[in-house]
Amino acid sequence: MLSERSANNGTARKISHTLQSLILPISFLVLWELIAVWAANPALIPRFTTVLGVLLNPLQELVGTGSLLHNTLVSLFRVVLGFAVSVVVCVPLGIFMGTSKTLHRLVNPLVELFRPLCPIAWIPFAMAVFKTTTVPQLFGVRFTETILDSVQIGMVFIIFWGGLFPILLNTIHGVAGVRGLLLETARVLGADKQKTFWKVVIPAALPDIMTGLRIGLGIAWMVIIAAEMLPGSDSGIGYLIMYAYELAEMQILVAGMIVIGIMGLGLNHGLQLISNRVSNWKALER
Amino acid sequence: MRKLTLNGINKVFLTHPDREVFALDNIDLSINEGEFIALIGPTGCGKTTLLRIIAGLENASSGEILLDGQPVADLNRISTLIFQQYSLFPWYNVIENITFPMEMKGLRKAERRRRAEELIQLVGLQGTEKAAPYELSGGMQQRVAIARALAHDPEVLLMDEPFGALDERTRHRLQTVLLEIWKRKGKTILFVTHNIDEALFLADRIIVMGTEPGRVVEDWHISLKRPRNRLADDFTQLHLKIRNVLEIT
Repeated sequence: MLSERSANNGTARKISHTLQSLILPISFLVLWELIAVWAANPALIPRFTTVLGVLLNPLQELVGTGSLLHNTLVSLFRVVLGFAVSVVVCVPLGIFMGTSKTLHRLVNPLVELFRPLCPIAWIPFAMAVFKTTTVPQLFGVRFTETILDSVQIGMVFIIFWGGLFPILLNTIHGVAGVRGLLLETARVLGADKQKTFWKVVIPAALPDIMTGLRIGLGIAWMVIIAAEMLPGSDSGIGYLIMYAYELAEMQILVAGMIVIGIMGLGLNHGLQLISNRVSNWKALER
Repeated sequence: MRKLTLNGINKVFLTHPDREVFALDNIDLSINEGEFIALIGPTGCGKTTLLRIIAGLENASSGEILLDGQPVADLNRISTLIFQQYSLFPWYNVIENITFPMEMKGLRKAERRRRAEELIQLVGLQGTEKAAPYELSGGMQQRVAIARALAHDPEVLLMDEPFGALDERTRHRLQTVLLEIWKRKGKTILFVTHNIDEALFLADRIIVMGTEPGRVVEDWHISLKRPRNRLADDFTQLHLKIRNVLEIT
């Protein structure tokens, strides 16, 4: 009897908490819609329902720039490629720098020299050096008629820089911060250097490495939007919202912003899920 | 039969470029097979350092360690150390922690599994195989640490105040568990503690160490019958005797 009542209370509380967290977002949307109707100037404030219309038709051709979905995929593809390069370079380098004091002394001054430089500051440099060469062209292939044709080396380079420092520094921190007690435990239990590395150092550092990946991916996603908004760009979600601005198509601009936000959230969440799967012990330990 | 022999172990630290501290001064010790030895002494007497040297975690400044009369090439292979701090690998569950040393030795998976199950029975942790370390109490974590150390199958089991962080009830229970394991497995155990009661309850032999320099002060054989009663007269008399020695060192 008592337990049944408390169970009911629990469900009721859960529903009430959900409702509480929805109050402000829903008020915001209603207020937006009201202000837009009142302002009656879609070039300044588009109605929420109009924006929703754009979002619900992601395959629709938009102002001659391709569909919302296409542009999102282009941006996503650039980020995934650049981020992959970042991971492949920075995780091993971070592991070496975290284990070898000599390598750390050797490379760290260079890291500290470049670190304060915002990755966005690299964009003009990358455009000057790599021009509009795409990744397939780099390998001597032209017009593969795939999304790869929209992935310029310059973009990959910039995203690489965006992911570089968070991944590198968190990996170093994770590897160098493995508790001495656990390393000694492995030693007295007969683990040699190599086995200690794979069975102790890597699992111990994995939560920090995953944090680095999450921060790095977040920055990469911000950097690609900035890069796509610059002159010379011809596709991507950043390009789409800039072009929509020039044509005063506010509903497309705002819809693009919402997609950017949702994608950022989704990427972070996706990596968080992977992180929880591969290294949940640290979160649970607390 | 003589199992482990320490000949003239010295450990010198340089605190300043010109000041040497003798953490261990010429320690000679011979330990018989299957003996349970408690090392007791005040902070700074070098008992932990001595254990770490035998475990192969630190090098002695001079001296030699012999196993069955032979010099030992790799101390990690013949001994293992259980720490006071909880040292389970937090990313492994109980059974994975216990199989760790067997994996290091390259035992086959089925064999690792079989032995681990045996050890889990031995330390009384049935049903916790899949539990993560953070789900276990301190006492249970140290039981896993003991099982894991036994999985390494060391010639000499070194224990550095393994029950130091536990409450008294749990500590007493684990002492009984440890004695049971020692009887069944016949391991040679070197057990560091600063708790006189613990040393008396467990050991065949109590070695008292003193400070500055770290050295052996007393070496007693304890012939009290087991299971020992902490309240019996002979127990409490020995307790007083050890305490008196510790107070003047």
